[in-house]
Amino acid sequence: MNMIKDRINKIGIPRAISYYNNYPFYFGFFKKLGVDIVLSDKTTSDIINKGSHYVVSDTCLPVKVFVGHVINLLEKGCDTIFVPSIQSTGYKINNCSKVRGLPEIIRNVIDKPFKMIEPTLDKTENIGLRDFCFDTASQLNINDISLVEDAMKEGWRVYDNFIMMAKSGLSYEKALHNAINDKFEIKQIELVKPLSVVIMAHGYNLFDERISLYLIKKLEKMNVKVYTSLNVSVEDARNSINALGEVQYWANELDLTGTAAYYLLNKKVDGIIAMSAFGCGPDSLMAEEIAFHAKKDGMPMLHLNIDEHTGEAGFVTRLEAFIDMLSRKKRKLGGKRNIVKPVEYKSKETEKEAIFTK
Amino acid sequence: MSNNQYSQRDNSIRTKDRIIAWPRMGNIDLSMKALVMGLDAKFILPPKNTNEALEIGVKNSIEDICLPYKLNLANYIMALEKGANTLMMFQAPGSCRFGNYTKMAQKTLNKLGYKYDMCVFDMYQSKMKQTLEAFWHVTRCLNPYKYYKGFSTGFNKAFAIDTAERLLFYIRPREIHKGEAEKCYKKWYKIIDETTSVRECKKLKKRVIEDFNKIQIDKDRIVPKVFLLGEFFVLLDPYTNQEIEKTLGDLGIEVQRQIFFSDWLEHVLKPSLFYKKESHRERAVRYAEKYMKRAIGGECIETVGDTVYAARHGIDGIVHIMPFSCMPEIVSQNILSKVSKEEDIPVLTLVLDEQTGKAGNITRIEAFADLIRRRKIKRSKKCNQEIK
Repeated sequence: MNMIKDRINKIGIPRAISYYNNYPFYFGFFKKLGVDIVLSDKTTSDIINKGSHYVVSDTCLPVKVFVGHVINLLEKGCDTIFVPSIQSTGYKINNCSKVRGLPEIIRNVIDKPFKMIEPTLDKTENIGLRDFCFDTASQLNINDISLVEDAMKEGWRVYDNFIMMAKSGLSYEKALHNAINDKFEIKQIELVKPLSVVIMAHGYNLFDERISLYLIKKLEKMNVKVYTSLNVSVEDARNSINALGEVQYWANELDLTGTAAYYLLNKKVDGIIAMSAFGCGPDSLMAEEIAFHAKKDGMPMLHLNIDEHTGEAGFVTRLEAFIDMLSRKKRKLGGKRNIVKPVEYKSKETEKEAIFTK
Repeated sequence: MSNNQYSQRDNSIRTKDRIIAWPRMGNIDLSMKALVMGLDAKFILPPKNTNEALEIGVKNSIEDICLPYKLNLANYIMALEKGANTLMMFQAPGSCRFGNYTKMAQKTLNKLGYKYDMCVFDMYQSKMKQTLEAFWHVTRCLNPYKYYKGFSTGFNKAFAIDTAERLLFYIRPREIHKGEAEKCYKKWYKIIDETTSVRECKKLKKRVIEDFNKIQIDKDRIVPKVFLLGEFFVLLDPYTNQEIEKTLGDLGIEVQRQIFFSDWLEHVLKPSLFYKKESHRERAVRYAEKYMKRAIGGECIETVGDTVYAARHGIDGIVHIMPFSCMPEIVSQNILSKVSKEEDIPVLTLVLDEQTGKAGNITRIEAFADLIRRRKIKRSKKCNQEIK
């Protein structure tokens, strides 16, 4: 009986960084464990300001946002916060130092009392996802092995559903909403739009609407079809990187280089948009890598840099100019229309390794 | 998994025609030169890092990359212009952007149309084997004595010059005739550079110590001590850090730099069986425990651990330097503000990049020097009163 008394029944998950790629897994996992999830509010300017207040000015925007969300959770009265440290997702395939050191930053910059659940995933040191989950559970004082294993399975199930739906072309929010409410829906009809672009960006930059300043919605309003990392399977991304003659170095490389490379190689899109936070180390290299290959292939590319001061007006102007340029180019070439093939599904087995490598 | 992902060995250049070059980083030249000369290979030294070099680097690299890369690239370009055809570089993947340097540089150099062979050796696992393999590749030298000679002289030179530097930092604020230590250091730099025999090199360290001890110092002077911490390259490269040790030393402050090339070399290359004492990194991990539970790449944990160590061992302040947008050091900067408060030690963080003006930094350093000096005097007065 003691064990049940001691266990923590409420966990706060900040809506930032790993939330955007892995939340479906976390949701299934914690639900099965019987832990209630408290989510922080969606990102607002207020949250960003609060976050920036705590860290030094050179810190990048996503980390500032993360800190802001942690503060938001504390203000909501949630005193157990989930701050995973995802060090590496493969042998010597590491994350950025700031993402690796998230718990260290949070521990040291916030001077309020709270409990931090800080599991580590480090495949270079052979700390796999199983250890990650058991670590999480034991920090929540849950020591029932079979329960944790069931919870992992439930996590995979929700995550698989989410990935399937997102890949079929559902928007991120819709896919997430469906996955959490245990609905399954696949977008059947693919409207052919005159232009299509691929966005290479971290999930936490792109799907956070405040950070990306509604980039996807803005493009869709301009009648442009948008592809993101959710539309590309892990294997395709990995193979595309190799096909370009590059080697995966960063944990997030599949989201960025992999996605852009996939569409660059099969010429499905008219242009590439790279969106990165100012001062982002990995992005500066990955965007450059793709720019190098895009230039070789004659593919137009736009590099958008964002930080907490990004003005929406300047952002829109650059976007409009880029789209205008794309459509003019296409008209000049005779309007060869790209017919979008339906996305093929990989078997569930291959999806399994998808999580945390994406 | 292959360790040599980035290094495609090019065998088209004849061994006889090879002219080796490597990027500059502090006093690394002395050891590399000894090693390469021991193996009977030809080499070219790129010109010293200057504004001109930096300009070449900035021109040819992307905007967001960090400062060390820009200087490395400039070194490559200048060496190639001077006639080098083999570039050597070590690499430690999985730490930060550093692991991508050679990959990026190769692309840029190819774009500029240079013909060269880039020889990269990994510093992550099986270090000695990879290092030997790399040097075999460029020299085709099979004589084990030559390897012994090269490594022995290289190591001993590194130890000697680092000892000289340590003594210089100690003596500079205390010397009675200003400039003497600096002169002595320059003299020894030249002697160390010119020594070639194995036997002489082994004696170098002892002779350096003897000679520095002859300099007259004022032992009663109040000299605040400062730890110089931060990113590896910036610490070791005097151009990038604007000779911060000299600036501090001239202000009457003893600098204790925690990262020395020879220490690092010893730790990295020596098999762990022979490495008995607690390494710098292990010490840092032990001291940083309260603030950091995991290493996150780069020198972050060393910076934090050393700060705690300094605070508990009577050091008066920390000067923390890093290149702009250095990922691991931004994390440590975040953590240091708390460490500074809790361990009660002043920390000055200086961010360096190609835009940094020297005057602004000097003002900040002077103010910091004043602060720690006054703190020290106040503390020693308090001590004296208690004794009375």
